[in-house]
Amino acid sequence: MIDQVKQKIKDLLTDRTVEGVIALVHANGHVAPCLYQKDDDLEKLCLGDSETAGDARYPLNKVLVTLARQYPDAVFGVLVRGCDERGLYGLYRLNQLNPQKVVPIGISCPQSLAQQCQCQKPWPDELTAGEKLDGLDQLGVRDAESKNLQERFTFWHDQFLKCVKCYGCRDICPMCFCKECSLECEDLVSKGDLPVDIPVFHLVRAMHMADRCIDCGLCDETCPSDIPLRLLYKKTAEIMDTEFGFTSGLNKDEVSPFSVMGPTPNK
Amino acid sequence: MLDFCGLEKERLRSRWVSSAEAPEFVQEINKFVSVLKEIGRSPLKVGQAEAVA
Repeated sequence: MIDQVKQKIKDLLTDRTVEGVIALVHANGHVAPCLYQKDDDLEKLCLGDSETAGDARYPLNKVLVTLARQYPDAVFGVLVRGCDERGLYGLYRLNQLNPQKVVPIGISCPQSLAQQCQCQKPWPDELTAGEKLDGLDQLGVRDAESKNLQERFTFWHDQFLKCVKCYGCRDICPMCFCKECSLECEDLVSKGDLPVDIPVFHLVRAMHMADRCIDCGLCDETCPSDIPLRLLYKKTAEIMDTEFGFTSGLNKDEVSPFSVMGPTPNK
Repeated sequence: MLDFCGLEKERLRSRWVSSAEAPEFVQEINKFVSVLKEIGRSPLKVGQAEAVA
């Protein structure tokens, strides 16, 4: 798989389709994001697999947004998985990226990773290497819903209580790009106080993720307190789907029901 | 989402009432208060109440 990706990157860079390609590098024992340019050595290119598949992913779209803001005329290639591509579609929709200036290089996820993520679409539309696997059911959400109200309250209350307010979930999130963040608004979130205001802190974020979250799970991976944030956002996404027939990042030309007045056009 | 997190969803209510419709507003609030009385104290406030007592 990696050879196909290397070839594609080489081709794109050689014929000058792109200025650079944002991917990962395995160097000095770590995996890190890297901008590959023409004639760069692709030997240490990495797809985000350190020991097991996808255990060293990184929000490359976030790097892309930063670069695109600085070099609005340049075209960049970016390594994407299914979730990253959903992120790109979301960022096009939210006017953070210009689709004309982005060339996605898609790889699919192996069964193990898809299973772990309970991913509904573990492959990108623009597939350079890998196979399309079937999407998986949202068993985690079903499981959480099977508890009664009191159990759910205890479960989430205990989870939210663990929060150390590090803002890691927001900082890693490829869909968080606002210059002013509600979670830093002192009227909503008091500075320096722990535990956080339950459930306001986490539900504010869940609400803001409603039409954005692309279910990449990086928040879940990064949380030092192991709060199952992904489960929370999976539920938000499910509500969006049931109520508005909208799933963030599913279609390239999607329109969020939040940006439409009147009845939803998709339903 | 509140329901998913274990809080009664009846605790949140949103309704549009014009500023010219005072009786409707009063009715709405009274209805809401009676609903809340029926559900009882929020589980989030239980700890605090004990601390005060």
